[in-house]
Amino acid sequence: MFDVEKIIKADRKVILIGSYPAIIQSILDFEYMSGHKAPSIVGVVATGRKIERYFFGKKEIAIPVFKSFKDVPDKVKHEVTFFLNVVSGRRVFSSTVEAIDNLPKLIGGVIFAENTPEKHALDLAEICETKGIFLAGPASVGILIPGIFKLGAIGGVEYKQLVDAKLSIRGNVAVFSASGGTTNELINILAQNGKKISFALHFGGDRFPITTPLEAFMAAENDPDTTHLVYFGELGGVDEYAVCEAIQTGKLTKPIIAYIAGNVAEIFPESPQFGHAKAMAKTQKETARAKRDAMKAAGVQVGESFKEFVELMHRIPSRETREDRGAIIEKMDDRRHALISTSVSKDEGGKATVLGEDLLSFSKNNSFGYIVASLFLGKKIKSKELEEFVSFVLKLLVDHGPYVSGAVNTIITSRAGRDLVSSLASGILTIGPRFGGAINQAAANWLDGASSGKTPQEFVEEYAKKKIYISGIGHRKYRSDMPDPRVSEIVSYTKELDAKYTNFAKSVEKVTVSKKGNLILNVDGAIACVMLDILSEKEGYSEEQLKELVDIEFFNALFVLSRSVGFISHFLDQKRLDEGLFRLGEEDVADASSQNE
Amino acid sequence: MPRVKLSEFRAKTIVNNYMGNPYSGFPFDAGRDPISKIDNAVVQGKTYVAKVDQGIKKRFKQGLVKLDLKNPTDIVDAIAEIRKKHFEYFLVEEYVPHDNNDEKYISLERTRKGIIINYSHQGGVDIESHSDEVGRILYKDSSDAHKVAGALGVEPEGFVEKLIELFDINYFSFLEINPLVVSLKKPYMLDIAAEVDSAAEFFVDTWSSNDFRNSRTGVLTEEEKNVHKLSEKSSSSLTLTVLNPNGAIFMLLSGGGVSLALADEVANLGKGDLLANYGEYSGNPTEEETYIYTKNLLSLLIKSNAPQKVLIIGGGVANFTDVRVTFRGIIHAMTEVMPELQRQNVKVFVRRGGPHQDEGLKDMEDYLSYNKIEGSVHGPKLVVSEIVAKALESIAIDN
Repeated sequence: MFDVEKIIKADRKVILIGSYPAIIQSILDFEYMSGHKAPSIVGVVATGRKIERYFFGKKEIAIPVFKSFKDVPDKVKHEVTFFLNVVSGRRVFSSTVEAIDNLPKLIGGVIFAENTPEKHALDLAEICETKGIFLAGPASVGILIPGIFKLGAIGGVEYKQLVDAKLSIRGNVAVFSASGGTTNELINILAQNGKKISFALHFGGDRFPITTPLEAFMAAENDPDTTHLVYFGELGGVDEYAVCEAIQTGKLTKPIIAYIAGNVAEIFPESPQFGHAKAMAKTQKETARAKRDAMKAAGVQVGESFKEFVELMHRIPSRETREDRGAIIEKMDDRRHALISTSVSKDEGGKATVLGEDLLSFSKNNSFGYIVASLFLGKKIKSKELEEFVSFVLKLLVDHGPYVSGAVNTIITSRAGRDLVSSLASGILTIGPRFGGAINQAAANWLDGASSGKTPQEFVEEYAKKKIYISGIGHRKYRSDMPDPRVSEIVSYTKELDAKYTNFAKSVEKVTVSKKGNLILNVDGAIACVMLDILSEKEGYSEEQLKELVDIEFFNALFVLSRSVGFISHFLDQKRLDEGLFRLGEEDVADASSQNE
Repeated sequence: MPRVKLSEFRAKTIVNNYMGNPYSGFPFDAGRDPISKIDNAVVQGKTYVAKVDQGIKKRFKQGLVKLDLKNPTDIVDAIAEIRKKHFEYFLVEEYVPHDNNDEKYISLERTRKGIIINYSHQGGVDIESHSDEVGRILYKDSSDAHKVAGALGVEPEGFVEKLIELFDINYFSFLEINPLVVSLKKPYMLDIAAEVDSAAEFFVDTWSSNDFRNSRTGVLTEEEKNVHKLSEKSSSSLTLTVLNPNGAIFMLLSGGGVSLALADEVANLGKGDLLANYGEYSGNPTEEETYIYTKNLLSLLIKSNAPQKVLIIGGGVANFTDVRVTFRGIIHAMTEVMPELQRQNVKVFVRRGGPHQDEGLKDMEDYLSYNKIEGSVHGPKLVVSEIVAKALESIAIDN
């Protein structure tokens, strides 16, 4: 049920179903102009990017985008009270039902798309009734309560339109229309004549608007601020007769000024389909004339022409509105989107902050492991376990001898006379799938294996069939009878955990070791599975979020950071020793030309 | 464009298939189908009916149904004769002789409250003359179906329930069977008129937009067909209907509601007979779409032989349709025929508001004055319907 007071009193939090940037921006502009402290829109359910960037006033803000309702955090689902659905007509029914099922605090919504089947609109109307919510539309540009709420394109999408129509101050005239353009036309006519609206609702041009004229008119009747109702209707449909009955039975008492368009149909041999879906009179009752006559008989002031309708509106007494809160009107033409966006750190007005905290206190009060883990994850970590594990891994991976390819490259570059940064870069650029980059791939393996429900045997067989090594398994030197002492140390961090991923990795190791003694869980594989377990159990990461960390190479980040220390130390060491240019001798290079014959 | 008429052929196919009786009639598109189609389909010894299948009411009284055709030549001749009245789509089916007293009436309609059944034991072409015999019932459950079936004397069991089911799953909005002949072994549906919800095309596989019929199909102008094609491919709405090809008042309107109010205004001012077209674009069409739309409208305007013509570019204060972008499309189309517009001394009156209205209106004003086109350009300060009075005045003075 559409109830103005309920909307005004609500904690208005809006989610978009589908994205329509111009409309979203216009809602934010409306709210900013009306002096709201924060935007009402808390998210967008749509495919595409993870955030959309908008302006609140001149300040740029990011609105999170969720792929589906499944990805909307519970906290958000529980605070949303309204939705604006802008997906196409064929998806209106399924997406609206999904929204209603997912939003326990829902008060109502607007459906924007044209071409929603009638049957779907009627089914949605029934759902609304059972759930006690309202829906404006289908094919509605929305609802508007000046200064308070704009849900849809209603009132315009350009900030100048909002200024011109004086939409930040609430008045006493309620505006209703079957047509979106006309809704806005009426708002503008009233504004130009010094009148202000109490609220406006566009039913949509479909045959069965879910919020009916009667329901909306009753909302105006019950709204203490509304003194007059203005209605633009069209031929087609019979919803006006319910309004007449409500007037005649004394339920609707406030004065109504109306126009029913479509007299022109009389000059056609057979009533054609006009612009809106419902605009076709099949029976006498549905003609513009019949509806005008019925409304007149019920006591509505009906304009015979649009001009007369406008003149009737001019006669509505302008009522002194409450204190003008003073709309915030700034020129917005110079707004520009930022070139980059970040969630890590800021430096504003000479004050540097990291993850929202002053840089100095952040660095003084936290361990290096905590800082690295938090920055790499983009948010402050919660658990001691992760902090300690990261600290340990950073130390453990710091160097592994001068033989490994990254260290060799650093040393060669250093001996070629290059500087610190070049030598370090040459070492780091060596990191990849065969050297140092295995942690990330191992994490991908354990994540896939443990969540797919495959047995360790099946998992190993799959790799064997595809003839690829399992990252995280196998060592050059250590064997099952001579285990790598680092691995048991790493795995010890899961003592207090359920350790789903580590257990899976270990059971894979059992299978591989039975094939060959050196196919043990190695350092990369162990770091990957323990990290997965800690993130999932101690930091609350979902499988989906862990997959994302794999996609963005988070698991390799620790190696890159830590091993940089090793590369730098090799560079400095070489400079101190001053060994001179490195060159291979003839005996160091084998002749492989016979291979090519 | 929701409620549309479905071809009788398609409606009968859907209804009969659902009832388990395959339908043997066949459609004939006079402009496209070869006559051999009739030769191949007709069975010797049977007699046939040929009738117009374009959603026309009262066909029998207008002579658009030919009965008792005994061979393919009869059928071809019957179609040729009716075709003279500008009809293109026909339905040919077996002729079923019956007693007029066995003609019943039933129709279903989707309303806000549910499906309403109208029924009468006295059906046939004169249904309207005994409308007091028509019962009306809001369908709730099968007891309502029993009541209707009883009143009509239909067997077998479940006929009415099946009608309700097929009505619902095929997204019908209206279905009328008149007459329904009940004396035969199974209920026989002689004539069916059906409307479906065109918005549901995606959800059904029993019908498609190819099955939509319009009484004007045979007389549509190329321009109307072009706009229809344009609209089908667009996420915006674009419509165009020619009322009077030699009209003087051409309307290039935007917005479903305001366009209707402006057309009303022409009728209110007593100039309905001069109105050349109705149509509107809305839902933020692109510049290209607006260009194609305008091009087709201007083509009609130029062809009209009215002595004095006026073009009204009218619309309310749009919520989200960009005035600057759509006006660019309009200007592009006008530029292509500008010499002709000047030669015919076409006057142009503009009233529009919405996103980027200042830029759009200025572009239009500069363009019209540069090309010395008479008329005027207005923003939201002018009451929208006033543009009609201004435009009509300009013709009145000249005439």
